[in-house]
Amino acid sequence: MKDLNKLFRELQQQKLQAVTRRHFLKDCVAGVGSIALASFLASCGGNSGSSGAIDLNALNPLVPKSPHFPGKAKSVIYLHMAGAPSQLELFDYKPVLQTLHNQPCPESLLAGKTFAFIRGIPKMLGPQAAFKQYGQSGAWVSDHLPHFSKVVDDVSFLKAVHSDQFNHGPAQMFMQTGSARLGRPSIGSWVTYGLGSENSNLPGFVVLTSGGKTPDAGKSVWGSGFLPSVYQGVQCRSKGDPVIYLADPEGMSRDLKRHAIDAINDVNKEEYNTYKDPETLSRIAQYEMAYKMQVAVPEVMDISQEPAHIHELYGTEPGKESFANNCLLARKLVEQGVRYVQLFDWGWDSHGTNASDSIDLGFRNKCREIDRPMTALIMDLKQRGLLDETLVVWGGEFGRTPMQENRDNSDMPFLGRDHHTDAYTIWMAGGGVKKGVTYGETDEIGFTGVSGRSSVHDVHATMLHLLGFDHEKFTYEFQGRPFRLTDVEGNLISAIV
Amino acid sequence: MKKKVVVVSILLSVIVAVGLLTFQQENPVDFSADVKPILNKHCITCHGGVKKNGGFSLLFENEAFAKTESGQSAIIKGDADHSEFIKRLTSDDPELRMPYNAPMLHDDEIDILKRWINEGAKWGEHWAYTLPEKVEVPKPFSFASLLGMNPSGISNNIDYFIQDKLKEKDLSFSKEADKETLLRRLYLDIVGIPPSLSELQSFVKDTREEAYEERVDRLLASQQYGEKWASWWLDLARYADTKGYEKDGSRQIWPYRDWLIKAFNKDMPFDEFMVQQLAGDLLPDPTKDQLIATAFHRNTMNNDEGGTDSEEFRMASVLDRVNTTYQVWLSTTFECVQCHSHTYDPFKFEEYYKSVAFFNNTRDEDTQGDHPRLRFYKAEDESRVDSIKSWLTQKGNQKLIRSTDLFLHTLEPKIHAHYSDQVENGALYDTKWLGIRSGGSARLKHITLQGKKQLYINYWTTLKGGTIEVRKGSKTGPLLTLVQLPSTSGRQVIQADMKEDTGVHDLYLLFKNATAAKDQPICMIEWFALREGFPVSTDPESQRMQNNFMQLINTNPESVPVMIENPAEMHRKTHVFERGNRLALGKEVQPAVPATLNPFPKGAPNNRLGFAKWIVSKDNPLTARTLVNRIWAQLFGRGLVEPLGDMGTQSTPSMHIELLDYLALDLMQTKKWSMKSLIKDIVMSYTYKQSSSLNQGDADKDPANIYLARGPRFRLSAEQIRDQTLAVSGLLSSKMYGHSVMPYQPDGVWMTVYSGESWTTSTGEDQFRRGLYTFLKRTSPYPSFISFDASSREVCLVDRIRTNTPLQALTTLNDPVYLEAAKHLSKLMQQEGSGDSKKIISYAYKKLMLKNPSAEKVVALEKLYKEALLNFNKKPAEAIKFMAVNASESKDPALTSNAAYMVVANALLNLDEFLTKS
Repeated sequence: MKDLNKLFRELQQQKLQAVTRRHFLKDCVAGVGSIALASFLASCGGNSGSSGAIDLNALNPLVPKSPHFPGKAKSVIYLHMAGAPSQLELFDYKPVLQTLHNQPCPESLLAGKTFAFIRGIPKMLGPQAAFKQYGQSGAWVSDHLPHFSKVVDDVSFLKAVHSDQFNHGPAQMFMQTGSARLGRPSIGSWVTYGLGSENSNLPGFVVLTSGGKTPDAGKSVWGSGFLPSVYQGVQCRSKGDPVIYLADPEGMSRDLKRHAIDAINDVNKEEYNTYKDPETLSRIAQYEMAYKMQVAVPEVMDISQEPAHIHELYGTEPGKESFANNCLLARKLVEQGVRYVQLFDWGWDSHGTNASDSIDLGFRNKCREIDRPMTALIMDLKQRGLLDETLVVWGGEFGRTPMQENRDNSDMPFLGRDHHTDAYTIWMAGGGVKKGVTYGETDEIGFTGVSGRSSVHDVHATMLHLLGFDHEKFTYEFQGRPFRLTDVEGNLISAIV
Repeated sequence: MKKKVVVVSILLSVIVAVGLLTFQQENPVDFSADVKPILNKHCITCHGGVKKNGGFSLLFENEAFAKTESGQSAIIKGDADHSEFIKRLTSDDPELRMPYNAPMLHDDEIDILKRWINEGAKWGEHWAYTLPEKVEVPKPFSFASLLGMNPSGISNNIDYFIQDKLKEKDLSFSKEADKETLLRRLYLDIVGIPPSLSELQSFVKDTREEAYEERVDRLLASQQYGEKWASWWLDLARYADTKGYEKDGSRQIWPYRDWLIKAFNKDMPFDEFMVQQLAGDLLPDPTKDQLIATAFHRNTMNNDEGGTDSEEFRMASVLDRVNTTYQVWLSTTFECVQCHSHTYDPFKFEEYYKSVAFFNNTRDEDTQGDHPRLRFYKAEDESRVDSIKSWLTQKGNQKLIRSTDLFLHTLEPKIHAHYSDQVENGALYDTKWLGIRSGGSARLKHITLQGKKQLYINYWTTLKGGTIEVRKGSKTGPLLTLVQLPSTSGRQVIQADMKEDTGVHDLYLLFKNATAAKDQPICMIEWFALREGFPVSTDPESQRMQNNFMQLINTNPESVPVMIENPAEMHRKTHVFERGNRLALGKEVQPAVPATLNPFPKGAPNNRLGFAKWIVSKDNPLTARTLVNRIWAQLFGRGLVEPLGDMGTQSTPSMHIELLDYLALDLMQTKKWSMKSLIKDIVMSYTYKQSSSLNQGDADKDPANIYLARGPRFRLSAEQIRDQTLAVSGLLSSKMYGHSVMPYQPDGVWMTVYSGESWTTSTGEDQFRRGLYTFLKRTSPYPSFISFDASSREVCLVDRIRTNTPLQALTTLNDPVYLEAAKHLSKLMQQEGSGDSKKIISYAYKKLMLKNPSAEKVVALEKLYKEALLNFNKKPAEAIKFMAVNASESKDPALTSNAAYMVVANALLNLDEFLTKS
């Protein structure tokens, strides 16, 4: 072990001179590259003393890094409702829309608009839920979310978010990567690139899915785009290995695996002595981390050991793939120092083509599935003192139309709403977000924002701000120019921070 | 101490004096080398392509000397002191001093700018945009060369260039790598898999001078060469087996991958290779292979999600083709010009759309059917095609022969259902298929009727008795034809004769079927086509030909998406998109190439083919350099110029430009664009053959091996790691070509929406094919490849970043594919190696690494063997599980020892040296 210490120190010295992964720390003018390098230098300085402690982290691209300024949020849990839930049945209460129910939509509203499925003149569709105001803040919440109505004072609502993509795939890409086209890093990748992760035995960016399907846009919504692949989201699964290839093969005990890793690393040390390639030492460190990850991941992914009152709180059932289980896992993961936890819950596309995707039936069931767990998540984080440093974001990729869908110019078998980009609701809680604020307002029928409109880029800029980044300076050099999550747009939504 | 200071200051003043002297005698300031980097670093962000603050831009010569908002020019040639440009750099007023809100320029930078203006402010081009006519090889005098021999450390001209730079840095070449390392390196680089032990032994024994070159030639001639290098090109081509976006359904485009392997294997000259991929369809009488080559640009994604606007995603594909073309062949980040003039490079906003105009006239329109597709008829059907063509030849209408051939092989030109508008009592279902109810109608606008005698409709319906009236000009206009729609089983193409007419008109389609329910469309239509039709004749032969024709177009043969140019009547206009917004159309533009680069070749057609010829013109400064740089990077792990995706003003300064230019010119002039010759030249160089071990001195001077004082050493690619593992364990299939395969992957990886498709594990040798044959689903790529930095191929990728992560370790340790390989390897090592465990392990090590292990390595591995054996002897049931053996095999007395060897084999397959090319 002693000579390994020496090797690692040697490596750290070398890393100062030779940055072999040139893309990581390519001399960005004002990017995180230089910040990463700065913190790297600091950690090397700290370890080059006589203490001799091995800091495997120094070889880890996910080593914790400092942002531009101290951020209030240390980690993020993003609850993405894939398919886009209706704001008009949850938070955006529109009594006028009720009075217009079944009336034909005025043509002036439709002029110049494109919808995915609405053709001709659709009818208006009144809210399919009853609304009340809750808490000190008096936030409007529908009777679909009885639990959530109890925590509204911990939440800030953005009522007039807008997108410019009206199809699921591109809109999810836009929501998660800031671009409707493929090839850009997801928010989680940016954040782990910028901040690293606090726990080297777990992936820094974890993705959990529920609802039986992955999101429409596929794995690209947690891809790392042009950032190194080490920053892409790692999907942790409820069935099979929680992480692909995590489990040892049958018949291989932990002890035996330890011996195997030791042998591999011993031979690799010999190899290092011949070639002096710093990547060899980095590989030794990765094998050590892999060995630890094999224990740490199943441990954190196992919710069966949680006490009964926690299961009661979330409505969790161990061994099932559910949004509830994923909410509890998200809490466990951030507790363990995971930087970014991305949840996708599929099944929110309430067109009205059948009962399960209708706004009056299926939608109600979906709300029931999320209401208790997302409320529990906020309460649980709060009782553990984690809410202040954990940013929770909830929302879909766009909203739903105040009009009833009339796909292919004919009546639908069930009540449904089409995709709508002009206005939808996103809420955020914790991580420095103001409590009990409602920002933005839509018109009388919830068609479009009339004040406090926020773009997807604004949402991203605000999330980055809460994490300690100036979104205009948080860049990565790719193909000759600096790229940002917010592209060339985005304004901080200061009303909620 | 004082004395030291004095000495130092004397030294310093001497240095300064010498420096000043040399400065005085120096050549005039060079714009590209000295001035442009300063402008790019400090000025151009605010005074360049995007922003022109104060009306001042330094991107183009005419802009730099033009009048600014103040009415004066900022730069007065020959007079630095009166140039506002210089005054602003030193102003005391922080509101005036430039760069604004940023640190002042260094004195030496200001000095260079002053001298440049005083010397006349001569503008120049960046090296990337001009290609020298000739590059001298920097051969120092040597007696050896007088005698016609190579001096030591020199194998060919490449080495002179490298040596020249090494001297500058006081470095020297490393010793040549040992034969074992060199042969492994060569195999991995040329064919992608390592040599066998016997191939190694014969090479080691072969002491002839030509031994190495013979291996190089043999490998370049081997079939596996094409597989290795196609694997590289597939990233550039963004090749995948699915269409991408939400639905991400399968796409059959593997014939392109096979074309690529064959093109590499026959060493198709790169200019031809390029022209065929970009514009094979526009070559005179293109062959089937030339059409398949055009699938390069059909690897763009296709959005089948319901409710998507096909025009939006057609345009997305066109823009992707422009960006990819500039990226793949010219190392240019042309996508930057999509919304504004290039920030750094001399490309103008409008020029982007002039390039788009070359690509904006192909028939593909983001349809679910991935049209147009080249159809591969079965032999008997192909002979029916031939008989139709020869029958038409007798009739002597050349134009008709061509159009018939095109239609039979691509069903083009056709009009897609989404082209229809003014839909009444119906809809474009799922924004894909036209479904109109009885009494409803739709319009097809601007249809050329001249010479059109037949209407073809691809439709399906369960209803009998439907009709479509086709009327000219309006719903009540003259009836051109009445189409009867029999009920169908699945999709069918039907043909109806049309009244002859002239001119361009809107067609109105009126749908009727009294038996249809109120809300029921009478049919679904995928496409229409209007054709000239066969010569009218009572000849029974004519009827037979028409029947054959209908039968052929109603077959559903294997096919591949290809590029087909619009006929003149379907020509699309191209407009500038204001700020990159497709819906904000600016002025119309005609196809043209950027002014900064070489002129458009004389006599070349002003279309994609001409554009392709412009790219491979010997005057193009970027094409050959790009290829040389990328091939160099494949072999050395980094390019001569970095980054690989950007050869222009933002390239990292490189000392290897002369070598790059030399190789680029040589490639075009001497090697006639032969990629094999270029690869051979590089691997024959001493530079390539050097040992890759790092000594401390070199590590200090050149840690990243930019100067190349040692050989390349870097981790293998995702595909290579798999191929090598299968090869050494005896599992690798040598089968080439064909449908992509689905080797083992864990359950539940594919969980995509609305797709009935599933991962069905291949059987037999298809489980063990080379990595490039693995089915690639864009939204869910093969997981072990992604861990090792492979691309999901959504967009073109020129340079894979190599990471080093715990997930990689987990893959090679635990992926059942690697365990299966370990099991096979453990058998082979015991069969082929002999003696005690030490000998067997040493043999296995040599089989994988192709050299003898050091004593320490054997000790470590044998220790593992003994611990594993002890473990399994204590718990034989675990050995049964680990080996996954059946009941009779589990009685084998050697079971526990076999399992222990499998543990060792698993470890060997995980060693750094195995995963790395050194």
